[in-house]
Amino acid sequence: MKEKILQTLTTLREYSLSKGVTVAFIYHEEDSYLMRFANSAISLNTNEHLIRLEITVYDDKRRASYEMITDLNKLDEMKQGVDIAAEMVKYAMPLNYQPSIPHINENYADVQGYDPALGSMTGEEKLAYFNEATNGLETDKITLSGIFTSGTNILAQISTKSEYTQYFQTSDAQVTIVLAHTELKWEVTAEQSAHKKDDLKPEELHAELSFLIDRYKNEPAQQVPVGSYDIVFGAAATAEMISFMNWIGFNGGLMKRGFSFLTEDHVGKKVFSEKFNLTDDPSRLETFPLTRDSMGMPRQAFPLFVKGVFQKFTWYQDDADEFGAQPTGHSVPHKSLVLDPGEMDLNSLQDLVKMPKDKDILYIPFLHYMNIVNPSKALVTASSRFGALLFKKDGSVVIPYNVRVTQSLLDIFGDKVAWMSKHQTVYNTSSSYGARNPVAIVLPKFIRVNDLEISHSNSSY
Amino acid sequence: MQKQLKAHIDRLKAAGATYVDARWYPVEEANYLMMWNGNLKETTSSRESGLGVRVLYKNAWGFSASSDMSNLSTLFDKAFDNARVAAERVTFPVRLAEKDAIQASFKSPNQIDPFGVSLANKIDFLKSMDEKLNQPGVVQRASEMMFVRKQIVFLDSEGSEIEKNIIEAFPAIQVMGVDSSGETHSRKFSPDRLGNTRGWETLDIQLFNENAERIIRELNEVLVADPCPKEDRSVILMPGIMFLQTHETIGHPLELDRILGYELAFAGGSFVTLDDFGKLRYGSEKLTARADATLTNSPGSFGYDDDGVPAQDNLLINKGILVGAITGRQMVEEANAKAKRQIFDGSSGANRATAFYRVPIERMTNINIDPGEDGSLDDIVKNTEKGIILDGDKSWSIGSNREQFHFATEIGWLVDDGKVTKVVKNSTYKGETVKFYNSLSAVGDESTWVVHYVDNCGKGQPNQIMQLGHGVPVCRFDNVRIGE
Repeated sequence: MKEKILQTLTTLREYSLSKGVTVAFIYHEEDSYLMRFANSAISLNTNEHLIRLEITVYDDKRRASYEMITDLNKLDEMKQGVDIAAEMVKYAMPLNYQPSIPHINENYADVQGYDPALGSMTGEEKLAYFNEATNGLETDKITLSGIFTSGTNILAQISTKSEYTQYFQTSDAQVTIVLAHTELKWEVTAEQSAHKKDDLKPEELHAELSFLIDRYKNEPAQQVPVGSYDIVFGAAATAEMISFMNWIGFNGGLMKRGFSFLTEDHVGKKVFSEKFNLTDDPSRLETFPLTRDSMGMPRQAFPLFVKGVFQKFTWYQDDADEFGAQPTGHSVPHKSLVLDPGEMDLNSLQDLVKMPKDKDILYIPFLHYMNIVNPSKALVTASSRFGALLFKKDGSVVIPYNVRVTQSLLDIFGDKVAWMSKHQTVYNTSSSYGARNPVAIVLPKFIRVNDLEISHSNSSY
Repeated sequence: MQKQLKAHIDRLKAAGATYVDARWYPVEEANYLMMWNGNLKETTSSRESGLGVRVLYKNAWGFSASSDMSNLSTLFDKAFDNARVAAERVTFPVRLAEKDAIQASFKSPNQIDPFGVSLANKIDFLKSMDEKLNQPGVVQRASEMMFVRKQIVFLDSEGSEIEKNIIEAFPAIQVMGVDSSGETHSRKFSPDRLGNTRGWETLDIQLFNENAERIIRELNEVLVADPCPKEDRSVILMPGIMFLQTHETIGHPLELDRILGYELAFAGGSFVTLDDFGKLRYGSEKLTARADATLTNSPGSFGYDDDGVPAQDNLLINKGILVGAITGRQMVEEANAKAKRQIFDGSSGANRATAFYRVPIERMTNINIDPGEDGSLDDIVKNTEKGIILDGDKSWSIGSNREQFHFATEIGWLVDDGKVTKVVKNSTYKGETVKFYNSLSAVGDESTWVVHYVDNCGKGQPNQIMQLGHGVPVCRFDNVRIGE
């Protein structure tokens, strides 16, 4: 298949050259499977096989793109796409900067993230995984929801600048299991990310869910008062906040457009806690990395924050072209973010329960529907969901109804950080509305932040 | 092609499938242009075609889709096989509400096909807007337009054959500025659906020019404004934020799949239960909401849904009482059976998929609030002792059961003793859904009612984006917390 894909791209390049057109091609192929559960049944079992071709034509400072869903047997249709984009670019208005054209310097293929066993998992295997992960936990009132999505992703590129190609193939899986009470409406969840089949460990999800279900069935529930709390965030909650930071933080183009809480003055300055070390590290296979960007630039580990000090902005090539910045190898669909572990020896919720408490601690595993209230101040808001717990100073555990947190990321990851777990996990943040784009963040399992405000507290589940 | 699709549908029926449908997209085209600070950053067109097949077998769904139409047998068989695996774990048998077999077509009303308008004309429009927006106080300016054209052929094993041809236009402009403390603020405009059509003709240059001037003026007022106070006030929601309030706290909680727990793994549930229909006082008597897929000029109108059910106009909330939901064929049967009473008489025709490669799910159509009898915006302001007028969505976050929310808006105008006193920045408000709608104290008349479109409603796994509309008036809610 790889050869056919690259040959097709080469043929399209030759066609473009014969027409005198400067073009860059991005080929994306996904073979996606999703089994979805609701009300303890499989509510949907689906697969999609889609091939997308993005054709960008350049004419000095003019640029136009044509995207198509096609298949490899339709070479003529793809050539028509080139013709259409070439026609469009005649009418495009020149940019006030010179756009860079992808120039790949050598043939490059990266398939180290591909595990055929994961990419070809059958429906029966997924069902068996779910059955094991939830064995004995469902009742008439406690029902199963969730997804098991897996797939294979191929990204391939060429441009008329050189005859060389880039080719990336990855496999990925994302599992979410939710057990919810049909009448009381509480919900607990456990999740797993996999870049190879061996990563799938249903027994770990079973242990996590068993612990939470036991608590939710047996501990008292209550509306917690609004006010200040020491909060332990779980990996899902932290990953959501890091994802937003990726958006309104260190993206150079968005900074220039006023959508960042960081400015050029912050480079080299301490912004977050000394415990905060964040890197874009394409060597971490768990993050479904792209080891070269779409311009052909090799991607290395890229420190973003070291001991809380902001290092540098990331730049998409087009933003770098527009604002006169140096490209950083970030013309990619996603980064490979890794938040360093801390020193607290906490590996599980059970460890967290056992840990001596100097005061009440609110555990928020998951933040639902986060949004940006004020990007300049990094102010975000979201509600807790899925298995929150209130650990009382006296050692007891209470189930809190969901609460809302409206806080600045500068506070959450600033000097209020008390500790981070020395154990990391991989949290899959994939949520692609278009082409499949697996992405995950490596981060500590737990982070404690002191003295954060709860601005709203629900009166029931 | 239709003959081949029918043959495969019949083949799977003969093999034991209870129901089969096929959605064939001969073509879906999109054209997106975006100019940012004078640079034409995006000149993009796209085209896709393909087939999605849905099979119901032994009470379970299977779905398969591909852009490769060369091997239809494999595609249909995959969908059947997916249903066969799903049938290994069924807890509530899938039943589909009755519907008529329909042979029909639908064409969205357009005077000028935007795909027939030259690229040069479209760029001229954007350039004109960009120049208009390049004014003092504006540090970032964006003008964009997106056009979509879909041809969808639907066939099912119950004898329906429907062809839809839909064209949509989504233009918008936005300006941003920075205040003295370095904070970015923005104002934007996208035209309300004023006429009866949905084509290029809806891009009225005069309307854009007028609103460009307005949003620049308002942005400059925000840039020098005081922060929004933290206190309780009446909030007067302009349609530019009321549409989103309606979307998030009436539309989503009344999607029947959410109510029945089908979105718990992702989008969330609903505070509404099946017991609530006919009983729950969702809002004050001034609140009447409906799902109206028959408005001619809105992307929430599509003729027939992806179950093949005709578009309808149904009440959701009648004078404050919950009476209806957003439904497809499967969910109404399940809801009636689980409630052990006939809540729903049939599908409300709201099962839609975003593309051939996604399965249809309950989606909003046009979720509207009926105009009230409390006069114009001026009338409502005059009758407000301590309030704030809010406009322009900036941020929205809603609890997982849609029970509470937090919104930020682009601009606020304080109202004291019946008069607008001053503009404030960083305006926000929050509340609990039922309590909030029960505090609805004024609903503007028809002069305040406009249809606002939404082109990016996300839901479902695999994820789907949907286009729809909201016809809403100016509404006032009392004792609402603002400024947090």
